[in-house]
Amino acid sequence: MADTKRKYSFYVEEKAHEVQDRPRKFLEAFAAVLEHSSYGLALDVFSRVSAKCGLCAASCQLYQTTGEDRDIPCHRSELLLRVYRRYFTRSGAIKDRFTNGFVLTDEYLDEMAEAVYRCTACRRCKNNCPMGIDHGLLTHLARWLLAEVGVIPKALVVAVRAQLEGVGNTSAIPPKALVDTCEFLEEELEEIYHVKVKFPFDVEGAEYVFFPAVSDYLLEPDTLMGNAAVMHVTGGSWTIGTKNFDGINYGLFYSDRIMERIVKNVVTEVNRLKGKKVLVGECGHATRCAWAIPTFCGPDAPPVVNFLQYTHEQLMKGKIPLKEQLIEERVTYHDPCNIARTGRITEEPREILKAICKDFVEMVPNRAQNYCCGGGGGLVSIDEIREFRTNLMGKRKADQIRATGAKYLVAPCANCKKQLKEVCEDNDLEDVKVIGLHDLLLRVIDFGTDASTSDEESSGVQADQSDIAQEGGT
Amino acid sequence: MEAWLEWARGPAFVFAFTFMVLGLVRHVVLTFAEMYRTMRRAGDKSLAYSKILVTTIKWLVPVGKIRNEVLYSVTSILFHIAILIVPVFLGGHIVLWARGLGLSWPGIPNEVADVLAIVAIVTAVALVVQRVSARPTRTLSRFQDYALPLLIAVPFVTGFLVMHPAMNPFSYEAVLLVHVMSANLIFVLMPITKLSHAAFMPSVQFVSELGWKWPADSGTRVAVALRKEEEPV
Repeated sequence: MADTKRKYSFYVEEKAHEVQDRPRKFLEAFAAVLEHSSYGLALDVFSRVSAKCGLCAASCQLYQTTGEDRDIPCHRSELLLRVYRRYFTRSGAIKDRFTNGFVLTDEYLDEMAEAVYRCTACRRCKNNCPMGIDHGLLTHLARWLLAEVGVIPKALVVAVRAQLEGVGNTSAIPPKALVDTCEFLEEELEEIYHVKVKFPFDVEGAEYVFFPAVSDYLLEPDTLMGNAAVMHVTGGSWTIGTKNFDGINYGLFYSDRIMERIVKNVVTEVNRLKGKKVLVGECGHATRCAWAIPTFCGPDAPPVVNFLQYTHEQLMKGKIPLKEQLIEERVTYHDPCNIARTGRITEEPREILKAICKDFVEMVPNRAQNYCCGGGGGLVSIDEIREFRTNLMGKRKADQIRATGAKYLVAPCANCKKQLKEVCEDNDLEDVKVIGLHDLLLRVIDFGTDASTSDEESSGVQADQSDIAQEGGT
Repeated sequence: MEAWLEWARGPAFVFAFTFMVLGLVRHVVLTFAEMYRTMRRAGDKSLAYSKILVTTIKWLVPVGKIRNEVLYSVTSILFHIAILIVPVFLGGHIVLWARGLGLSWPGIPNEVADVLAIVAIVTAVALVVQRVSARPTRTLSRFQDYALPLLIAVPFVTGFLVMHPAMNPFSYEAVLLVHVMSANLIFVLMPITKLSHAAFMPSVQFVSELGWKWPADSGTRVAVALRKEEEPV
């Protein structure tokens, strides 16, 4: 069985164990990346200026909990920088030969593999590094190079295979099933809110082509209904492409090669439909990958809009009518790292929430200084490390959630949502409901139909009977 | 001793100082050249210039960052202020520059320099003590991380003694020789150790951002280089 050969805390595919001559292949990949991509400058400067001040450790949620040396961001980064200096700089080669004789070994690669998948690449440490060292970038690169020698978490590579070589999306949903699902959601909307909302497929020339995390079709129907409802009331021109409807891009987590292919597939679908813009659903990493469209495709690529931005703009224009009865329960907001760390999307969701909630409280810290949900960097998809994710990575987050006393924890990101649900389950926070922003918004949109009775049953298709009973009681 | 002192203040200083200036200028020039090349090759040529500039300034004047780690940050900031101001603005040093190159600029009173020198010495030692006593830094530290703060304290200790002969138990010339030579050593080490951050600091935030600015089709190009373009996932 795989367990006898198990080297890492995550599963890799059987064939990964059979890769021979890994150090040489790792260095070949490194050389190719240095030549054809742009990591060289950062590696060079980072390895020169690294002051080993330890401020990154103080800002890392994992190190705060474990206190293990290997979890210090700077320590992890040094694993890669050391290889860079030894094999790709003259002074480093000479110095290492004279002083310690460092050579890259299989064991060293194993240590690196374990280390870089104990990091969510949330980049909080980057914001707190006086030298501006982007440890997230180094984790990103190290994972790519390791992928070239076969070390990829099985959960990630299997999903990518389904997306690029199988059905066409990471959840392996056939287009027919997608259409059925959306028809079901249309019926739900009509039943609960008495409104005829359309999920438009393959409409040519639409302004927005919609790419949610495809898992939302299975796990977060309320979010999608909220998305569709916003489009309905604002009269937005949008469509879902049946050839490609998946915004997920695990390439971000382990390979620029893969990332580029997936990004290009998104652009291909937008072009096929003669759409104008990419509209990304509530998903952090999908948004960040979509922002990388011009990186891989050049400046002529279609612009990217996150659904939060669209909804915010429409709400501010007064295009989204709201009921008088707003959300009563206490609500807090989790900033997904991929959209908030650089401060790109932080205020839009807050302004929406403040407009629809009576009791919105901030989690501390927040915005660019937020803590990762603990499942970033693709870790959330690796089920076998749940214990690590929810206890070690997620412990601080759980404390912060608890401190807000909120009933609803809004996380506009498919990965954050899955992770935070597990964090809450594993940290005695069963009362907290992790939810998408559009799920909440949907409950207070005034469709102008006879929906006065809908408030109590608004938890939607996902809620089970007990939920409905509970909500009815409040 | 006289001859040694002449050598230290003369050719040795000229060499060390020139080495430092050229070394740091080389870093700056090469970094900017590579930054330019990266942007020229980048698929996405947009860059949040003003935002990065603000971040750069915030880290160059890191007062707002103190709360992250109060003791360490305060120590570090005081250390930097002291070691940057004293060597440049000490009256005695300015006189030397005026004599050598005819350049002159306003200095600080010697009393202020005394205080700052003591601050530099105390904070240098404190930085090392903090480095040893905190687990993460103890793990991360290399030889240079301990040696450099202590080395930097040497010219301040000796400089203080030179300025206050009454407190100096050693020979004036010997102390002055150590003062000049330790400074010369620091100059030489500037470009080749982490002290080079003095030259990199204004660009690090840009470099950090440019790390993500890959060329268009870079993934495919790497795949081709590795002969993996046909390889299944």
